[in-house]
Amino acid sequence: MHPLYGTTAVAGIGMRQYRRGASPLPEQGVLAEAIRAACADAGFDPAEVDGFVSYGDDKNEPVRLMPALGTRELKWSSVVWGGGGGGVAGAFGLAAAAILSGQASAVVIFRALVEGSSGRLSAAVMAHHLNDHMLAAGIVAPAQVCAIRANRMYEHHGVPRSVAEELVRASYYHGSRNPEAVAYGTELDLEEMRSSRWIAEPFRLFDCSRENDGAAAFLMVSAARARDLKKPPVYLLGCANGAEKGWGDLLENDDEALYPTAGFRPIARRLYAETDLSPADIDVVQLYENFSAQGVASLIDHGFCTYENVAEVVRFDNLIAPTGTLPVNTGGGNFAQGFIHGIGTAYEAVKQLRGESANPVPGARTCLLAGGPGAPTVSSAIFGNEVP
Amino acid sequence: MNINDGADAPYWNGLADGVLLLPRCGGCGEWLWPALSRCGTCGSEEIQWTERAMAGTIFSWTRTWHRFGFTESLDLPFVSIVATVDDCGIRLLGRLDDPDQIDPLIGEAITGRIGATRVEGRDIPTIIWSRG
Repeated sequence: MHPLYGTTAVAGIGMRQYRRGASPLPEQGVLAEAIRAACADAGFDPAEVDGFVSYGDDKNEPVRLMPALGTRELKWSSVVWGGGGGGVAGAFGLAAAAILSGQASAVVIFRALVEGSSGRLSAAVMAHHLNDHMLAAGIVAPAQVCAIRANRMYEHHGVPRSVAEELVRASYYHGSRNPEAVAYGTELDLEEMRSSRWIAEPFRLFDCSRENDGAAAFLMVSAARARDLKKPPVYLLGCANGAEKGWGDLLENDDEALYPTAGFRPIARRLYAETDLSPADIDVVQLYENFSAQGVASLIDHGFCTYENVAEVVRFDNLIAPTGTLPVNTGGGNFAQGFIHGIGTAYEAVKQLRGESANPVPGARTCLLAGGPGAPTVSSAIFGNEVP
Repeated sequence: MNINDGADAPYWNGLADGVLLLPRCGGCGEWLWPALSRCGTCGSEEIQWTERAMAGTIFSWTRTWHRFGFTESLDLPFVSIVATVDDCGIRLLGRLDDPDQIDPLIGEAITGRIGATRVEGRDIPTIIWSRG
Protein backbone atom coordinates (compact mmCIF):
# COMPACT_ATOMS: atom_id res chain seq x y z
CA MET A 1 0.00 0.00 0.00
CA HIS A 2 1.13 3.55 -0.70
CA PRO A 3 2.91 5.24 2.27
CA LEU A 4 0.28 8.02 2.41
CA TYR A 5 -2.63 5.59 2.72
CA GLY A 6 -4.29 6.16 6.10
CA THR A 7 -1.04 6.99 7.92
CA THR A 8 -1.83 10.60 8.86
CA ALA A 9 -5.06 12.30 9.86
CA VAL A 10 -6.69 15.67 10.40
CA ALA A 11 -7.33 15.92 14.13
CA GLY A 12 -8.69 19.45 14.44
CA ILE A 13 -10.19 22.22 12.31
CA GLY A 14 -10.84 25.92 12.82
CA MET A 15 -12.26 28.64 10.60
CA ARG A 16 -13.06 32.34 10.84
CA GLN A 17 -14.90 33.92 7.93
CA TYR A 18 -16.24 37.43 7.23
CA ARG A 19 -17.48 39.49 4.34
CA ARG A 20 -14.69 40.83 2.15
CA GLY A 21 -13.23 43.90 3.83
CA ALA A 22 -15.09 43.20 7.09
CA SER A 23 -12.50 41.26 9.11
CA PRO A 24 -12.34 42.59 12.68
CA LEU A 25 -8.65 41.68 12.87
CA PRO A 26 -5.66 41.93 10.55
CA GLU A 27 -4.77 38.80 8.61
CA GLN A 28 -2.27 37.39 11.05
CA GLY A 29 -4.67 37.88 13.97
CA VAL A 30 -7.51 36.06 12.20
CA LEU A 31 -5.14 33.26 11.27
CA ALA A 32 -3.86 32.83 14.83
CA GLU A 33 -7.48 32.57 16.00
CA ALA A 34 -8.25 29.89 13.41
CA ILE A 35 -5.15 27.90 14.38
CA ARG A 36 -6.00 28.11 18.10
CA ALA A 37 -9.54 26.99 17.26
CA ALA A 38 -8.21 23.98 15.32
CA CYS A 39 -6.00 23.01 18.26
CA ALA A 40 -8.86 23.44 20.75
CA ASP A 41 -11.05 21.30 18.50
CA ALA A 42 -8.50 18.49 18.84
CA GLY A 43 -7.71 19.14 22.52
CA PHE A 44 -4.12 19.88 21.52
CA ASP A 45 -1.72 22.47 22.96
CA PRO A 46 -0.96 24.97 20.17
CA ALA A 47 2.57 25.40 21.57
CA GLU A 48 3.23 21.80 20.46
CA VAL A 49 2.59 22.54 16.77
CA ASP A 50 5.98 22.22 15.09
CA GLY A 51 5.17 22.55 11.38
CA PHE A 52 3.15 24.73 9.01
CA VAL A 53 2.10 24.36 5.38
CA SER A 54 0.22 26.73 3.10
CA TYR A 55 -0.33 27.33 -0.63
CA GLY A 56 -1.16 29.99 -3.19
CA ASP A 57 0.96 32.90 -2.01
CA ASP A 58 -0.17 33.08 1.58
CA LYS A 59 1.79 35.93 3.13
CA ASN A 60 1.88 34.63 6.70
CA GLU A 61 5.37 33.25 7.09
CA PRO A 62 5.11 30.62 9.84
CA VAL A 63 8.03 31.90 11.91
CA ARG A 64 6.03 35.09 12.48
CA LEU A 65 3.12 33.11 13.94
CA MET A 66 5.23 31.68 16.75
CA PRO A 67 4.76 34.48 19.32
CA ALA A 68 0.95 34.49 18.99
CA LEU A 69 0.74 30.70 19.29
CA GLY A 70 3.47 30.19 21.89
CA THR A 71 5.20 27.80 19.47
CA ARG A 72 8.15 26.15 21.20
CA GLU A 73 10.06 25.03 18.14
CA LEU A 74 9.45 25.38 14.42
CA LYS A 75 10.69 22.34 12.50
CA TRP A 76 8.88 22.52 9.16
CA SER A 77 7.55 25.44 7.13
CA SER A 78 6.76 24.98 3.47
CA VAL A 79 4.38 26.06 0.76
CA VAL A 80 2.99 24.41 -2.35
CA TRP A 81 4.16 26.23 -5.47
CA GLY A 82 1.56 27.81 -7.71
CA GLY A 83 -0.45 30.98 -7.82
CA GLY A 84 -4.02 29.71 -8.00
CA GLY A 85 -5.83 27.46 -5.55
CA GLY A 86 -4.34 24.39 -7.18
CA GLY A 87 -2.32 23.60 -4.07
CA VAL A 88 -5.09 23.35 -1.47
CA ALA A 89 -5.17 19.53 -1.47
CA GLY A 90 -1.43 19.23 -2.08
CA ALA A 91 -0.83 21.10 1.17
CA PHE A 92 -2.17 18.08 3.10
CA GLY A 93 0.23 15.82 1.21
CA LEU A 94 3.10 18.12 2.09
CA ALA A 95 2.13 18.08 5.78
CA ALA A 96 1.90 14.27 5.66
CA ALA A 97 5.37 14.13 4.07
CA ALA A 98 6.78 16.11 6.99
CA ILE A 99 5.12 13.84 9.56
CA LEU A 100 5.89 10.52 7.85
CA SER A 101 9.54 11.44 7.32
CA GLY A 102 9.94 12.44 10.96
CA GLN A 103 10.73 16.07 10.19
CA ALA A 104 7.75 17.35 12.19
CA SER A 105 5.02 15.74 14.28
CA ALA A 106 2.11 18.19 14.45
CA VAL A 107 1.62 20.24 11.30
CA VAL A 108 -0.93 22.98 10.69
CA ILE A 109 -2.23 23.46 7.15
CA PHE A 110 -3.64 26.97 6.75
CA ARG A 111 -4.77 29.69 4.38
CA ALA A 112 -5.59 33.25 5.39
CA LEU A 113 -6.95 36.08 3.30
CA VAL A 114 -7.82 39.53 4.58
CA GLU A 115 -8.11 42.12 1.87
CA GLY A 116 -7.17 45.03 4.12
CA SER A 117 -3.88 43.28 4.91
CA SER A 118 -2.84 41.65 1.65
CA GLY A 119 -5.06 43.10 -1.09
CA ARG A 120 -7.29 41.33 -3.59
CA LEU A 121 -6.64 37.66 -4.20
CA SER A 122 -7.43 37.94 -7.91
CA ALA A 123 -4.61 40.47 -8.28
CA ALA A 124 -2.20 38.24 -6.37
CA VAL A 125 -3.11 35.26 -8.53
CA MET A 126 -2.59 37.20 -11.73
CA ALA A 127 0.75 38.57 -10.58
CA HIS A 128 2.02 35.04 -11.24
CA HIS A 129 0.88 34.96 -14.80
CA LEU A 130 0.55 38.43 -16.25
CA ASN A 131 2.81 39.15 -19.19
CA ASP A 132 2.67 41.36 -22.26
CA HIS A 133 1.04 38.65 -24.39
CA MET A 134 -1.91 38.67 -21.99
CA LEU A 135 -2.02 42.42 -21.41
CA ALA A 136 -2.07 43.03 -25.18
CA ALA A 137 -5.11 40.76 -25.51
CA GLY A 138 -6.89 42.44 -22.58
CA ILE A 139 -6.63 39.19 -20.59
CA VAL A 140 -5.82 40.33 -17.07
CA ALA A 141 -8.04 38.34 -14.68
CA PRO A 142 -8.66 34.71 -13.77
CA ALA A 143 -12.29 35.02 -14.96
CA GLN A 144 -11.15 35.75 -18.51
CA VAL A 145 -8.50 33.02 -18.55
CA CYS A 146 -11.08 30.47 -17.43
CA ALA A 147 -13.77 31.87 -19.76
CA ILE A 148 -11.66 31.16 -22.85
CA ARG A 149 -11.18 27.55 -21.71
CA ALA A 150 -14.88 27.24 -20.90
CA ASN A 151 -15.98 28.38 -24.36
CA ARG A 152 -13.79 25.71 -25.91
CA MET A 153 -15.28 23.05 -23.61
CA TYR A 154 -18.84 24.12 -24.45
CA GLU A 155 -18.47 24.72 -28.17
CA HIS A 156 -15.82 22.28 -29.30
CA HIS A 157 -16.32 19.41 -26.86
CA GLY A 158 -20.10 19.61 -26.72
CA VAL A 159 -20.60 20.06 -22.99
CA PRO A 160 -24.04 21.67 -22.58
CA ARG A 161 -23.85 25.09 -20.93
CA SER A 162 -26.84 24.19 -18.77
CA VAL A 163 -24.76 21.87 -16.55
CA ALA A 164 -22.86 24.82 -15.08
CA GLU A 165 -26.10 26.16 -13.64
CA GLU A 166 -26.85 22.79 -12.03
CA LEU A 167 -23.55 22.93 -10.17
CA VAL A 168 -24.05 26.53 -9.06
CA ARG A 169 -27.54 25.71 -7.80
CA ALA A 170 -26.25 22.73 -5.80
CA SER A 171 -23.61 24.88 -4.09
CA TYR A 172 -26.20 27.53 -3.18
CA TYR A 173 -28.70 24.91 -1.99
CA HIS A 174 -26.16 23.51 0.46
CA GLY A 175 -24.86 26.94 1.45
CA SER A 176 -28.33 28.24 2.22
CA ARG A 177 -28.66 25.42 4.80
CA ASN A 178 -25.21 25.79 6.37
CA PRO A 179 -25.08 28.22 9.33
CA GLU A 180 -21.35 28.78 8.66
CA ALA A 181 -21.92 29.81 5.03
CA VAL A 182 -22.14 33.31 3.59
CA ALA A 183 -25.32 32.27 1.77
CA TYR A 184 -26.99 30.87 4.91
CA GLY A 185 -30.74 31.43 4.94
CA THR A 186 -30.94 32.91 1.44
CA GLU A 187 -32.52 30.94 -1.37
CA LEU A 188 -30.91 31.40 -4.77
CA ASP A 189 -33.12 33.45 -7.08
CA LEU A 190 -32.89 31.63 -10.42
CA GLU A 191 -34.06 34.63 -12.40
CA GLU A 192 -31.51 36.88 -10.72
CA MET A 193 -28.78 34.33 -11.46
CA ARG A 194 -29.74 33.94 -15.13
CA SER A 195 -29.98 37.67 -15.71
CA SER A 196 -26.92 38.67 -13.68
CA ARG A 197 -24.47 40.85 -15.56
CA TRP A 198 -21.89 39.44 -17.95
CA ILE A 199 -18.33 39.37 -16.63
CA ALA A 200 -16.53 37.57 -19.47
CA GLU A 201 -18.61 35.34 -21.74
CA PRO A 202 -19.66 32.60 -21.04
CA PHE A 203 -19.51 33.75 -17.39
CA ARG A 204 -22.09 35.88 -15.70
CA LEU A 205 -21.58 37.14 -12.15
CA PHE A 206 -23.12 34.00 -10.66
CA ASP A 207 -20.59 31.79 -12.47
CA CYS A 208 -17.79 33.42 -10.46
CA SER A 209 -16.63 32.86 -6.90
CA ARG A 210 -16.34 35.99 -4.79
CA GLU A 211 -13.71 36.61 -2.15
CA ASN A 212 -14.15 36.64 1.62
CA ASP A 213 -11.94 37.68 4.50
CA GLY A 214 -10.92 34.96 6.91
CA ALA A 215 -8.70 32.01 7.66
CA ALA A 216 -8.95 28.28 8.19
CA ALA A 217 -6.54 25.88 9.83
CA PHE A 218 -6.19 22.10 10.07
CA LEU A 219 -4.11 20.21 12.61
CA MET A 220 -2.53 17.12 11.08
CA VAL A 221 -0.75 14.39 13.04
CA SER A 222 0.07 10.71 12.58
CA ALA A 223 -2.95 8.39 12.43
CA ALA A 224 -2.00 6.76 15.74
CA ARG A 225 -1.70 10.10 17.51
CA ALA A 226 -5.00 11.32 16.03
CA ARG A 227 -6.83 8.38 17.61
CA ASP A 228 -5.78 9.66 21.06
CA LEU A 229 -7.14 13.17 20.46
CA LYS A 230 -10.59 14.58 21.10
CA LYS A 231 -12.27 14.31 17.69
CA PRO A 232 -12.65 11.30 15.40
CA PRO A 233 -9.70 11.20 12.98
CA VAL A 234 -10.22 12.06 9.33
CA TYR A 235 -7.53 10.06 7.56
CA LEU A 236 -5.65 11.18 4.49
CA LEU A 237 -5.94 8.21 2.10
CA GLY A 238 -4.13 9.73 -0.85
CA CYS A 239 -2.89 12.96 -2.36
CA ALA A 240 -1.48 13.93 -5.75
CA ASN A 241 -0.09 17.24 -6.94
CA GLY A 242 1.47 18.38 -10.21
CA ALA A 243 0.96 18.62 -13.97
CA GLU A 244 1.67 16.55 -17.07
CA LYS A 245 3.53 17.36 -20.26
CA GLY A 246 1.40 19.58 -22.47
CA TRP A 247 -0.24 21.45 -19.59
CA GLY A 248 0.47 24.58 -17.58
CA ASP A 249 1.52 28.20 -18.17
CA LEU A 250 2.09 27.65 -21.89
CA LEU A 251 0.51 30.87 -23.23
CA GLU A 252 -2.60 28.84 -24.20
CA ASN A 253 -0.51 26.29 -26.12
CA ASP A 254 -1.54 23.33 -24.00
CA ASP A 255 -2.07 19.98 -25.70
CA GLU A 256 -5.34 20.26 -27.61
CA ALA A 257 -7.04 17.42 -25.71
CA LEU A 258 -5.97 18.85 -22.35
CA TYR A 259 -6.87 22.47 -23.17
CA PRO A 260 -10.53 22.43 -21.99
CA THR A 261 -9.77 20.27 -18.93
CA ALA A 262 -9.08 21.49 -15.42
CA GLY A 263 -5.65 19.84 -15.36
CA PHE A 264 -6.63 16.94 -13.11
CA ARG A 265 -6.29 13.99 -15.46
CA PRO A 266 -2.81 12.94 -14.28
CA ILE A 267 -3.75 13.79 -10.69
CA ALA A 268 -6.86 11.58 -10.77
CA ARG A 269 -4.96 8.73 -12.43
CA ARG A 270 -2.34 8.77 -9.67
CA LEU A 271 -4.82 9.29 -6.85
CA TYR A 272 -6.99 6.32 -7.81
CA ALA A 273 -3.99 4.08 -8.54
CA GLU A 274 -2.29 4.86 -5.22
CA THR A 275 -5.42 4.41 -3.08
CA ASP A 276 -6.88 1.51 -5.08
CA LEU A 277 -10.13 3.49 -5.11
CA SER A 278 -12.24 4.56 -8.08
CA PRO A 279 -14.85 7.27 -8.67
CA ALA A 280 -17.52 4.74 -7.61
CA ASP A 281 -15.88 4.53 -4.15
CA ILE A 282 -16.17 8.29 -3.53
CA ASP A 283 -19.18 9.15 -1.36
CA VAL A 284 -18.98 12.94 -1.50
CA VAL A 285 -16.95 15.56 -3.39
CA GLN A 286 -15.70 18.95 -2.22
CA LEU A 287 -14.87 20.81 -5.36
CA TYR A 288 -13.04 24.10 -5.70
CA GLU A 289 -15.12 26.16 -8.13
CA ASN A 290 -13.34 29.37 -9.07
CA PHE A 291 -15.79 29.45 -11.98
CA SER A 292 -18.73 27.20 -12.80
CA ALA A 293 -17.34 25.63 -15.97
CA GLN A 294 -14.06 24.75 -14.27
CA GLY A 295 -16.02 22.91 -11.58
CA VAL A 296 -17.71 20.85 -14.28
CA ALA A 297 -14.36 20.18 -15.98
CA SER A 298 -13.01 19.03 -12.64
CA LEU A 299 -15.79 16.43 -12.27
CA ILE A 300 -15.04 15.17 -15.79
CA ASP A 301 -11.30 14.99 -15.09
CA HIS A 302 -11.87 12.95 -11.93
CA GLY A 303 -13.95 10.40 -13.84
CA PHE A 304 -17.37 11.16 -12.37
CA CYS A 305 -18.75 11.75 -15.86
CA THR A 306 -17.66 12.20 -19.47
CA TYR A 307 -18.25 14.76 -22.22
CA GLU A 308 -20.99 12.43 -23.43
CA ASN A 309 -22.97 11.84 -20.21
CA VAL A 310 -22.16 15.01 -18.25
CA ALA A 311 -25.75 16.25 -18.50
CA GLU A 312 -27.09 13.02 -16.96
CA VAL A 313 -24.69 13.17 -14.00
CA VAL A 314 -24.32 16.89 -13.28
CA ARG A 315 -27.96 17.45 -12.35
CA PHE A 316 -29.08 19.47 -9.33
CA ASP A 317 -31.03 16.52 -7.87
CA ASN A 318 -28.02 14.26 -8.25
CA LEU A 319 -25.61 16.73 -6.64
CA ILE A 320 -27.43 17.47 -3.39
CA ALA A 321 -27.33 15.73 -0.03
CA PRO A 322 -28.79 13.53 1.32
CA THR A 323 -30.35 11.87 -1.74
CA GLY A 324 -28.05 12.59 -4.70
CA THR A 325 -25.63 9.91 -5.85
CA LEU A 326 -22.85 12.48 -6.32
CA PRO A 327 -23.20 15.01 -3.49
CA VAL A 328 -20.97 17.99 -4.29
CA ASN A 329 -19.96 20.97 -2.14
CA THR A 330 -22.14 20.05 0.81
CA GLY A 331 -21.02 23.15 2.72
CA GLY A 332 -21.85 25.46 -0.17
CA GLY A 333 -18.48 25.46 -1.92
CA ASN A 334 -16.63 28.59 -2.97
CA PHE A 335 -19.84 30.08 -4.40
CA ALA A 336 -22.04 29.88 -1.31
CA GLN A 337 -20.06 28.68 1.72
CA GLY A 338 -17.44 31.37 1.16
CA PHE A 339 -14.15 31.87 -0.58
CA ILE A 340 -10.92 32.04 1.37
CA HIS A 341 -8.91 30.78 -1.58
CA GLY A 342 -10.74 27.44 -1.46
CA ILE A 343 -9.77 26.38 2.05
CA GLY A 344 -13.47 26.15 3.00
CA THR A 345 -13.84 23.11 0.74
CA ALA A 346 -11.29 21.21 2.86
CA TYR A 347 -13.06 22.37 6.04
CA GLU A 348 -16.33 20.87 4.80
CA ALA A 349 -14.56 17.63 3.76
CA VAL A 350 -13.54 17.07 7.38
CA LYS A 351 -16.91 18.13 8.81
CA GLN A 352 -18.76 15.82 6.41
CA LEU A 353 -16.65 12.79 7.34
CA ARG A 354 -17.11 13.53 11.07
CA GLY A 355 -20.88 13.65 10.64
CA GLU A 356 -20.89 17.37 11.54
CA SER A 357 -22.00 18.78 8.19
CA ALA A 358 -25.14 20.87 7.94
CA ASN A 359 -25.96 18.74 4.87
CA PRO A 360 -24.97 15.24 5.95
CA VAL A 361 -24.43 12.49 3.40
CA PRO A 362 -25.71 9.33 5.10
CA GLY A 363 -22.96 6.79 5.71
CA ALA A 364 -20.28 8.81 3.92
CA ARG A 365 -16.88 7.18 4.39
CA THR A 366 -14.78 8.86 1.68
CA CYS A 367 -14.55 12.43 0.42
CA LEU A 368 -12.58 13.69 -2.55
CA LEU A 369 -11.14 17.20 -2.32
CA ALA A 370 -10.22 18.80 -5.65
CA GLY A 371 -7.99 21.86 -5.71
CA GLY A 372 -8.25 24.96 -7.87
CA PRO A 373 -9.15 23.82 -11.38
CA GLY A 374 -7.31 25.21 -14.37
CA ALA A 375 -4.24 26.30 -12.40
CA PRO A 376 -0.91 25.33 -13.96
CA THR A 377 -0.23 23.03 -10.99
CA VAL A 378 -3.24 21.30 -9.42
CA SER A 379 -3.82 18.77 -6.66
CA SER A 380 -6.49 16.49 -5.21
CA ALA A 381 -6.79 14.38 -2.09
CA ILE A 382 -9.04 11.62 -0.77
CA PHE A 383 -10.00 11.59 2.91
CA GLY A 384 -11.76 8.83 4.83
CA ASN A 385 -13.26 8.44 8.30
CA GLU A 386 -11.95 4.89 8.30
CA VAL A 387 -9.09 3.20 6.46
CA PRO A 388 -10.78 0.85 3.97
CA MET B 1 7.71 41.85 -17.54
CA ASN B 2 10.11 43.93 -19.63
CA ILE B 3 9.18 43.47 -23.24
CA ASN B 4 12.60 43.03 -24.77
CA ASP B 5 14.70 40.92 -22.45
CA GLY B 6 13.06 37.50 -22.60
CA ALA B 7 13.41 34.56 -24.95
CA ASP B 8 10.52 36.07 -26.94
CA ALA B 9 12.27 39.41 -27.58
CA PRO B 10 12.53 38.75 -31.36
CA TYR B 11 8.75 38.30 -31.48
CA TRP B 12 8.17 41.74 -29.94
CA ASN B 13 10.87 43.37 -32.05
CA GLY B 14 9.31 41.75 -35.13
CA LEU B 15 5.88 43.19 -34.36
CA ALA B 16 7.48 46.60 -33.85
CA ASP B 17 8.98 46.21 -37.36
CA GLY B 18 5.61 45.14 -38.82
CA VAL B 19 6.22 41.39 -39.18
CA LEU B 20 5.19 38.26 -37.28
CA LEU B 21 8.29 36.24 -36.35
CA LEU B 22 7.89 32.91 -34.57
CA PRO B 23 10.56 30.57 -33.22
CA ARG B 24 11.41 27.19 -34.69
CA CYS B 25 14.04 24.72 -33.56
CA GLY B 26 16.99 24.57 -35.95
CA GLY B 27 17.65 20.99 -34.89
CA CYS B 28 14.34 19.16 -35.22
CA GLY B 29 12.14 21.78 -36.85
CA GLU B 30 9.59 21.90 -34.04
CA TRP B 31 7.79 25.21 -33.48
CA LEU B 32 8.51 26.41 -29.96
CA TRP B 33 5.97 28.49 -28.04
CA PRO B 34 6.27 29.91 -25.43
CA ALA B 35 9.69 30.92 -26.76
CA LEU B 36 12.68 29.06 -25.34
CA SER B 37 16.43 29.31 -25.45
CA ARG B 38 16.77 25.56 -25.93
CA CYS B 39 14.54 22.94 -27.57
CA GLY B 40 13.32 20.50 -24.93
CA THR B 41 12.67 17.84 -27.57
CA CYS B 42 16.08 17.57 -29.24
CA GLY B 43 18.31 19.78 -27.09
CA SER B 44 19.36 22.13 -29.88
CA GLU B 45 20.08 25.72 -28.91
CA GLU B 46 19.70 26.96 -32.47
CA ILE B 47 16.45 28.94 -32.59
CA GLN B 48 15.34 30.08 -36.04
CA TRP B 49 12.97 33.06 -35.97
CA THR B 50 10.77 32.56 -39.01
CA GLU B 51 8.27 34.96 -40.58
CA ARG B 52 4.66 33.75 -40.79
CA ALA B 53 1.65 35.40 -42.39
CA MET B 54 -0.85 36.96 -39.99
CA ALA B 55 -3.45 34.40 -40.96
CA GLY B 56 -5.05 31.78 -38.78
CA THR B 57 -8.16 30.35 -37.18
CA ILE B 58 -10.01 31.00 -33.93
CA PHE B 59 -9.14 28.41 -31.28
CA SER B 60 -11.26 29.96 -28.53
CA TRP B 61 -12.53 33.32 -27.35
CA THR B 62 -14.19 35.41 -24.65
CA ARG B 63 -16.03 38.73 -24.72
CA THR B 64 -15.24 40.87 -21.68
CA TRP B 65 -17.91 43.16 -20.23
CA HIS B 66 -16.47 43.87 -16.78
CA ARG B 67 -13.95 46.67 -16.37
CA PHE B 68 -10.84 44.91 -15.08
CA GLY B 69 -7.76 46.90 -14.10
CA PHE B 70 -5.17 47.26 -16.95
CA THR B 71 -7.92 47.22 -19.62
CA GLU B 72 -8.78 50.94 -19.30
CA SER B 73 -7.70 51.70 -22.88
CA LEU B 74 -10.13 49.16 -24.37
CA ASP B 75 -13.80 49.97 -25.05
CA LEU B 76 -16.22 47.54 -23.42
CA PRO B 77 -17.14 44.97 -24.45
CA PHE B 78 -14.07 43.65 -26.22
CA VAL B 79 -13.26 40.21 -27.62
CA SER B 80 -10.04 38.40 -26.75
CA ILE B 81 -9.10 35.30 -28.69
CA VAL B 82 -6.62 32.50 -28.89
CA ALA B 83 -5.62 32.32 -32.56
CA THR B 84 -3.96 29.32 -34.20
CA VAL B 85 -1.45 30.71 -36.70
CA ASP B 86 -1.51 29.03 -40.12
CA ASP B 87 1.49 26.95 -41.22
CA CYS B 88 2.95 26.42 -37.74
CA GLY B 89 0.16 25.67 -35.25
CA ILE B 90 1.42 28.12 -32.63
CA ARG B 91 -1.44 29.71 -30.68
CA LEU B 92 -1.26 33.43 -29.94
CA LEU B 93 -3.31 35.55 -27.59
CA GLY B 94 -4.84 38.51 -29.35
CA ARG B 95 -7.90 40.68 -29.85
CA LEU B 96 -10.64 40.40 -32.46
CA ASP B 97 -12.54 43.25 -34.09
CA ASP B 98 -16.13 42.92 -32.89
CA PRO B 99 -18.12 45.70 -34.57
CA ASP B 100 -21.44 43.83 -34.63
CA GLN B 101 -21.03 41.66 -31.50
CA ILE B 102 -21.42 38.48 -33.50
CA ASP B 103 -20.11 35.56 -31.47
CA PRO B 104 -16.87 34.18 -32.93
CA LEU B 105 -16.88 30.57 -34.10
CA ILE B 106 -14.13 28.12 -33.26
CA GLY B 107 -12.27 27.30 -36.45
CA GLU B 108 -13.30 30.53 -38.21
CA ALA B 109 -10.63 31.97 -40.53
CA ILE B 110 -9.11 35.28 -39.43
CA THR B 111 -6.46 37.71 -40.62
CA GLY B 112 -4.39 40.02 -38.48
CA ARG B 113 -2.88 43.47 -38.59
CA ILE B 114 -0.47 45.04 -36.14
CA GLY B 115 -1.85 47.58 -33.71
CA ALA B 116 -1.12 48.40 -30.12
CA THR B 117 -2.64 48.13 -26.67
CA ARG B 118 -2.01 50.90 -24.19
CA VAL B 119 -1.38 49.64 -20.66
CA GLU B 120 -0.12 51.87 -17.84
CA GLY B 121 1.32 54.39 -20.27
CA ARG B 122 3.02 51.75 -22.46
CA ASP B 123 2.03 50.77 -25.99
CA ILE B 124 2.33 47.00 -26.38
CA PRO B 125 2.41 45.84 -30.02
CA THR B 126 -0.68 43.71 -30.58
CA ILE B 127 -2.06 41.63 -33.42
CA ILE B 128 -5.65 42.74 -33.99
CA TRP B 129 -7.53 40.04 -35.85
CA SER B 130 -10.64 40.27 -38.00
CA ARG B 131 -12.85 37.73 -39.70
CA GLY B 132 -12.21 36.61 -43.26
